Amino acid sequence: MTAYDERLRHGADPKPLSGASVERGLSGALQFTIAIAVIAMVVQSLYVIDARPQDLVTGFHGMVDIISRALPPDFSKFRSEIWPTLETIDIAIFGTVTGVILALPLAVLAASNVTPARWLYYVARGMISIARVVPDLVWALIFVAAVGLGPFPGALAVSVHSVGMLGRLFAEVIEQMDMAPVEALSLTGARRIQVFTHAVLPSVIPSLLGITLYRLDENIRSSLVLGFVGAGGIGFQLLTAMNLFQYQEVSLLLIIVFFVVLIAERGSAILRARLS
Amino acid sequence: MLEVRGLSLRYPNGKQALNNVDLTVRPGELVIVLGGNGSGKTTLLRCLTRTLTPTGGSVSVAGRDITALKGEELRQARTRLALISQHASLVKRRSVRANVASGALGHYTNFMTSIGRLPREELASAHRHLEEVGLEHLAGQRAGTLSGGQAQRVAIARALAQRPRAVLADEPVASLDPQAAEEIMQLLKRLAKDDNLAVLCVLHQVDLAYGHADRVVGIRDGQVAFDLPREELERERVSNLYLSEAA
Repeated sequence: MTAYDERLRHGADPKPLSGASVERGLSGALQFTIAIAVIAMVVQSLYVIDARPQDLVTGFHGMVDIISRALPPDFSKFRSEIWPTLETIDIAIFGTVTGVILALPLAVLAASNVTPARWLYYVARGMISIARVVPDLVWALIFVAAVGLGPFPGALAVSVHSVGMLGRLFAEVIEQMDMAPVEALSLTGARRIQVFTHAVLPSVIPSLLGITLYRLDENIRSSLVLGFVGAGGIGFQLLTAMNLFQYQEVSLLLIIVFFVVLIAERGSAILRARLS
Repeated sequence: MLEVRGLSLRYPNGKQALNNVDLTVRPGELVIVLGGNGSGKTTLLRCLTRTLTPTGGSVSVAGRDITALKGEELRQARTRLALISQHASLVKRRSVRANVASGALGHYTNFMTSIGRLPREELASAHRHLEEVGLEHLAGQRAGTLSGGQAQRVAIARALAQRPRAVLADEPVASLDPQAAEEIMQLLKRLAKDDNLAVLCVLHQVDLAYGHADRVVGIRDGQVAFDLPREELERERVSNLYLSEAA
């Protein structure tokens, strides 16, 4: 019911609506339309994914069965899981470090305020976009095909995807920086590279480090999944254990994953807090 | 010596921002430029630093015509011409000493300065320049922690580290309180005398111009309205500069 209807219901004169009332009415109509659109979106998604909530009920026994077979976790295999865990962490470290090394120059070229030439800006933006829009899982499949199974293709996949993610965020940080010190140093006759290392970098480095730490945290999560396509690490162990129905090993691996992700997340958050 | 002859700038849209400006600033001299908003003062400075390319006339610094220079030649010419802007424009996360020493980077081409290192001799000289502006005790402090007046003094020290022949100052006291503004003007005057620098300063504060200038240049509608020693300058002539703006 609109404000106009409300006034009529309380016996008010049916005067024309004021500007504010019309606005309120329109906004109400708009809200109604948005609500209908949202409901329509949800309904169509349920239809497209062929959602069958009843299957959750019938499948409940299966889930209980898997969980009961996964308990207790097989801690006797802990020692053999240390190396894949280290592989997973190192895939993330390699991917992040090489990602930063490649993303920084690309970000400089892709930042509209410091790029040396317009065409370089577009080339750098294009490269960053390609690296970013292709999911790391797809990069992993490509590199597994190129260099074979193992952690190395996983590290390459994380690296390339990081170039895309870091390149975009680094470029945004550089674009938002205060340009006055940069211009001031340029006018002293300093060379372009000197202006970059003495004015641009010192201004943006805390932000870049914060983004890098966040990326490392994200890359550890990504490298856990990449094992599913043969790119080494703990994900590969998880896939193998599931295929062999060794659910007690699966539960051990999930506990390891939980702690690795938790430590990476907390460590990254603490370091970022210190930086800021 | 800073010499400007017949300097003109016409924008592509046809607007004449500067029209046949003649101006000379001798070593040891502090010349203050006055003028209303949009009169062409800042455009003049931008033409002198060559961030804008004039469409006519010439600019010479220490006898070298810099009007038509480009690329590496322009970069080298800029080392002789320091600019102090309204905001100190320091790198806030670096130390005061590093900010001052970075003013000399244009004189170095070595690899170390390209990767963010500062020459040891320039870091030592930075202390001397900070002494000149009375801030040697803040050398190790982060630039971001300075007050407006202190930051502007550091900007002046950075300009000195540049080893310039002429100094341009674009409203250097605009964001400072009266006492800090007075101190900065005294400092600019002292540097002009002690270091034998040609100092050209754009100001809005007429009283500061009367207090410190050796000569005062009035700019109106992109032209020099007067160029007189401070003692010969009448208040009425200065007031006339701002008449069209008030109208």
